[in-house]
Amino acid sequence: MSVASEPQESPSGSTGARPGAVGFLTDVSLCIGCKACEVACKQWNQLPADGSVAGSGLTGFSYDNTGDLGATTWRHVAFVEQAPAPTGDLLAGLLGSAPTQMAWLMLSDVCKHCVNAPCLDACPTGAIIRTRFDTVVIQDDVCNGCGYCVPACPFGVPQLGEGDRGAHKCTLCYDRLVDGMEPACAKACPTDSIQFGPISELMPRAVERVTELQNRGVEQAHIYGDRAWGGTGGINGLNAFFVLTAPPETYNLPASPQRPSDQVLPAFLTTAAAALGLGLAAVAALRGR
Amino acid sequence: MNTFARRWEPDRRGRRAAATGALAAQRGRTSADEARGSYYGVPVIHRAHWHWLIILYFFLGGITGACYVIASIAHLVGPSEDRRLVRAGRYLSFVALVPSPALLILDLGRPGRFYKMLRVVKLRSPMSVGTWGLTVFGGFSALSALVQAAEDGILGRGLRARAVGRWPSKIIGIAGMPWGLFVAGYTGVLLGATAVPLWAKNALLLGPLFLASAFSTAASAIGLALSAAQGTEPATLERLERLERLTIGAELGLLAASRARLSATAAPVTTGTPGALLRYGTVGSGLLVPLGLHAVARLTSEKTGRRLGMLSSVLVLVGGFLLRYVTVVGGHASADDPRATFDYARQEQSGTPA
Amino acid sequence: MPGLGARLGRGGATTFLQDLANSDCIVIMGANMAENHPVGFRFVVQARERGATIIHVDPRFTRTSALSDLHVPLRAGSDIAFLGALINHVLTNGLWFDEYVRHYTNASTIVGEDFRDTEDLAGLFSGYVPAERRYEFDSWRYAGQATDPAPSEDANQDSQAYDQRVGRTDGALEVDPTLQHPNCVFQIVKRHFSRYTPELVEETCGVPRKLFLQVADAITRNSGPERTTAFAYAVAWTQHTTGTQMISCCALLQLLLGNIGRPGGGIMALRGHATIQGSTDIPTLYNLLPGYLPMPNTAQPSATLADYLGQVTAPTGWWHHAPAYMVSLLKAYYGDVAQPENDFAYDLLPKIGGDYSFQPMLLMMQEGAMQGLFCMGQNPAVGGQNAHLARRALANLDWLVVRDLFETETAAFWHDAPEVRSGEVRAADIKTEIFLLPAAVTPEKDGSYTNTQRLVQWHDKAVDPPGTARSEAWFIHDLACRLKELYEGEDTPAARQLQALAWDYPDTGGEPHLDEVVREINGYTVGDGRLVLDYTALKDDGSTACGCWIYSGIMPEEGRNLARNRRGDERASLGWGFAWPANRRMLYNRASARPDGTPWSERKAWIWWDAEQGRWTGHDTADFPATKPPSFRPLPDAKGMEAHGGDAPFIMMADGKGQLYAPTGLRDGPLPTHYEPWETPVGNLLYPDQPRSPSAKLHDRPDNRYHAIGDPRFPHVITTYRLTEHHTAGAMSRFVPWLAELQPEGFVEIDPVLAGSMSVDNRDWVTVSTLRGAIEAQALVTDRIPPLTVHGQRLHQIGVPWHYGYTGIAVGGIANDLSALIEDPNSLIHEAKAFTCAVRKGRLGDVGSDETVTDRASARGAG
Repeated sequence: MSVASEPQESPSGSTGARPGAVGFLTDVSLCIGCKACEVACKQWNQLPADGSVAGSGLTGFSYDNTGDLGATTWRHVAFVEQAPAPTGDLLAGLLGSAPTQMAWLMLSDVCKHCVNAPCLDACPTGAIIRTRFDTVVIQDDVCNGCGYCVPACPFGVPQLGEGDRGAHKCTLCYDRLVDGMEPACAKACPTDSIQFGPISELMPRAVERVTELQNRGVEQAHIYGDRAWGGTGGINGLNAFFVLTAPPETYNLPASPQRPSDQVLPAFLTTAAAALGLGLAAVAALRGR
Repeated sequence: MNTFARRWEPDRRGRRAAATGALAAQRGRTSADEARGSYYGVPVIHRAHWHWLIILYFFLGGITGACYVIASIAHLVGPSEDRRLVRAGRYLSFVALVPSPALLILDLGRPGRFYKMLRVVKLRSPMSVGTWGLTVFGGFSALSALVQAAEDGILGRGLRARAVGRWPSKIIGIAGMPWGLFVAGYTGVLLGATAVPLWAKNALLLGPLFLASAFSTAASAIGLALSAAQGTEPATLERLERLERLTIGAELGLLAASRARLSATAAPVTTGTPGALLRYGTVGSGLLVPLGLHAVARLTSEKTGRRLGMLSSVLVLVGGFLLRYVTVVGGHASADDPRATFDYARQEQSGTPA
Repeated sequence: MPGLGARLGRGGATTFLQDLANSDCIVIMGANMAENHPVGFRFVVQARERGATIIHVDPRFTRTSALSDLHVPLRAGSDIAFLGALINHVLTNGLWFDEYVRHYTNASTIVGEDFRDTEDLAGLFSGYVPAERRYEFDSWRYAGQATDPAPSEDANQDSQAYDQRVGRTDGALEVDPTLQHPNCVFQIVKRHFSRYTPELVEETCGVPRKLFLQVADAITRNSGPERTTAFAYAVAWTQHTTGTQMISCCALLQLLLGNIGRPGGGIMALRGHATIQGSTDIPTLYNLLPGYLPMPNTAQPSATLADYLGQVTAPTGWWHHAPAYMVSLLKAYYGDVAQPENDFAYDLLPKIGGDYSFQPMLLMMQEGAMQGLFCMGQNPAVGGQNAHLARRALANLDWLVVRDLFETETAAFWHDAPEVRSGEVRAADIKTEIFLLPAAVTPEKDGSYTNTQRLVQWHDKAVDPPGTARSEAWFIHDLACRLKELYEGEDTPAARQLQALAWDYPDTGGEPHLDEVVREINGYTVGDGRLVLDYTALKDDGSTACGCWIYSGIMPEEGRNLARNRRGDERASLGWGFAWPANRRMLYNRASARPDGTPWSERKAWIWWDAEQGRWTGHDTADFPATKPPSFRPLPDAKGMEAHGGDAPFIMMADGKGQLYAPTGLRDGPLPTHYEPWETPVGNLLYPDQPRSPSAKLHDRPDNRYHAIGDPRFPHVITTYRLTEHHTAGAMSRFVPWLAELQPEGFVEIDPVLAGSMSVDNRDWVTVSTLRGAIEAQALVTDRIPPLTVHGQRLHQIGVPWHYGYTGIAVGGIANDLSALIEDPNSLIHEAKAFTCAVRKGRLGDVGSDETVTDRASARGAG
């Protein structure tokens, strides 16, 4: 990973989450990669299995045969094997002198339920709404499958379903929340790597956790989803946020994504300026002598 | 669309371990090796599903909007001999408009629900404002075409038709012009307001670029129509070609600026087939060659000049279409490249004031 | 089981999963806990969060290693060398828990002069009978014990029965409290392990000295009055020819460190799958009756009930009560037929005369000695060792009943097995008549699980099973009723057994009322049918009936099934479910207090003596007579529990002590010894003349050939394992799309150096072969299974998950086609965690001319 700047400073933990917001704290340092979240999610939401069943088989991506999030995969556990440096250390390891410890990073990825959600911004039909839990949900009966939310999301979350051609993503188990239950994935997580709760409780917990990990020598520990990382630009924080122990890119997360719709006004202004210029050019060109 | 379509599948068959050192050369390529530099090459973001329908709409949308604007301006400031130009512009605008909503609706995953677009107005969603803009503009384009048709007697000589012919077409044109400009340019803004590095990084210039291309293609389309028809004043064509040259110049400038702005992110549209199409199809034969043809045409006979003009118009139109094609297809490749997304996110951070 | 049983008294886990959170150091060895016990692993994570050191010793870097502080890659099967070196480290550096060892173990007991150690006999203990590959145990006894020989067993009639006669003593034992006597247990243990050095570990296990010392330091620093270390193991210790001794070696180490019976300590035996613990408690094993009463065995005096009870009743310790348990069981089995006059119908009970464990059973089928098989929740076509042979054995049956959720490989072998698909075997030639009966899955039936920590938890039916699927209870009940009807009026031994069987469970729609079954398991007085409170109420005069004495107390009164309880707390959660025995969560917990009854430390207090109330009290139910004071001293000729002092925590043992040296109970020696796996690329540095287990049970035959030590054709070590995403032989997971997609097909894990030498990249196809079979799979090239340096040579290990087969959604080569039939002499479990193999690039068809594959084919032809 050719990434220069690494997070070292203590985390800010500041986001623009609204009062009463709930979300996920997903702590990679507790994840055992059991994928119970993936299965619980598919079971609760009655999502079909993906292409693996159609025979595409092994990905070879370590133990990740899911690949990424999609219309029918709303939790995805990423696996990254980090071998000790392949040159000097390996030699030493083979000669039996220096012990070499490798690392196996696992992260359960999910929709981030952004404070200012790009998918919601993009949606032209109002199918994507912000709920009273400050979560972001696609109303399937409104969605017309325009697909604009798909490239709008800087995290690659929503996707059009192959069969029904509507956009789908994690609902943070809205149907469970209204009944006072926690989302299926958090319920299933055996090590509390996925924690559900009010952001006002989860975020201080995450700050404490990062400080603790840094004190333990995990220098790269940081929050992904506050205004410093992940919840950057106009996104203003993620309600489903993470404690990471490696640069975000390791887990296929963009370090500092932007809220695409923040570009709308400036872009319309430059376009208007261009319109003015081109209009004047047309006047100049077409004026009668 | 399928998670398992494996569009991201790296060409790992042939690649031996890239690790260094004599020992490393004997190592089989591991799973960890495949995750070096990105997450196994899996895209960070999902690409849009847009293809031919949308590319064609982007092209026609530019023409419908810009034709309307050119016609209206010509009506306002042009000499009376350019009425043919005005008429052609109005009709062409309408002709290009008609398939546009159909293309958009067909592109929807659930076309039957297209009307859901009209539930809300969302200023942050270029697709929402675009829908409304296109709807309003559609009214103007149709109205102006109607008035034109009435003036031309196409609607017959009845009282009602004559009444329509007396409607204030200049005022309608002035009112519709901003909407025409909007329709011609918002598609660039729409692409820019995504997470796709190729588009997002160039968001400020994509609108102007699409708009400039809309003008050049619209001028070419009108020129082509007028040239094909008999009896157009050479001066009219001359004025149109002047407009073409100005807008081509603007387009070239914007393309150069985009190239500079995108730097490495531009790779999907500077390399491979899209790169060739953009370089030779749009910039070469779509912009530079027409400029050259204009210069050559002055030195030739009127008839040859007119033919060269027509050729130039066709080339501009093809180039304009290719520009939309390359932009959309390049965007897909850009979305599929995790490193481009990483770089975009990292650069934006360092470039954004805290 | 015998591994823990022989040293501690019971085969069950000494502690419970939740207690792992109290550990200061957890060593996970022979287990991949995060992957195979992910829910229990949460307590390991909790311990780590509280500052505990987590160490994972395993050939592979797994999801468990990922969450551990230290991963120690060792050569598969070299565990005793590693554990023995830890023991030696403790003993040579004076790091044992002295007060614990002196009071709670048999360290001071003096062993008879006839005993000879492996150090004296170049790798053999005294008493070895080479022709029969077994030991006579007489010379292992304590000094001064009666000449009455310990039961010596006919070589043809192996069973692990009677092993609870561990440490049976006749009269007072000779002891040396100073631990200096050359033949005292402490000195014997010390001498036995004196050559297990860090250097040996480096040479034999491939673990660098420095790494070994890190582990040694961590466990010794975290043991003592203030701190405790726990060990967790699973089937990766049991599946070796020396598996029982690996476990017993761990128990020995934990006794020396004083970690047994204390919070955050102990040995967490992680069971292979749900309710495996239950299926040995109320066993599906051929050689045990419920509650670990041995099955009568014709090799020992067993003709009459008195003969049998004479064998199983220990003069001292808890097994003194065996007659009450046995007679109550016979009353439960035979009801009114069982009367004092007829020895409680003891003669109706089958007596075993040989090894009817699973592997010999396969051979009996293969040879035609066994004509029919019920397969319920088992898939031997995938899970059977030498699975190719297992399928041939199935094909030789007259009839086969498979009750399962899907058409498993075992039900489908006749048309879908690789050898049928390839045309090697013709479906038409298979005579077996197969009945596939649909089974109900957990939420579709009432019942219980006894999990890894002996905890019984009830579950209620939530939905009706689909179609004609039915519960096991329905099926067994129906079968029993039909059999009784069928044999009515017949006068044969088999008919008499069935006629006598008390089978009067009320049922609804064929589903027997399980409350009635629980009642019977709990036990009741025969006269009035009142439930007994616990097993102390059981009598040997026929006045009580009890289906499984260790579960007695699960239903102390009508309608109150404690397994339904769901009250948890931060400690022992006594209000959650029911743990046998008598709802004790931590076994041997008397050891959590000093000999005088006070806690070793405030931090590690668990139960203690309350002098005012005159009873043991604390966070758990005492695993000790509740009112026996610490100061109690037995009278010289006392029997049963009266023979134990107030400081003898190991109540099942004759002497109440933890057995550092086990004079009986283990067939392959009183002490663990490093032997190589049966198939190994290297020799034994400690005992070059006795490289492998001298008493492993072999089945050397043309269709089950073994690789010689260092066979150059099979240079690599192979280990099989499981994945979180699948369940054992796959019937419950490979057919479920949501699970199948997570690990959609089989693979082989190979290190990059070995892969590089074959020009294999990640996801290239490879073929793995042994003399038993060959499979193909894609390679997962990974640094997680690093090459090791053993005996100065580089050694590669490869890993193959064994879930896959040919039916279902997720399919792949059958790993057990590679493994061999071979048995640990104690547990009769096979050796799938360490054997040798060849690996080649390419698919099966590509290596048709391969020497090892041809060998296999000719071997099969010969067989």
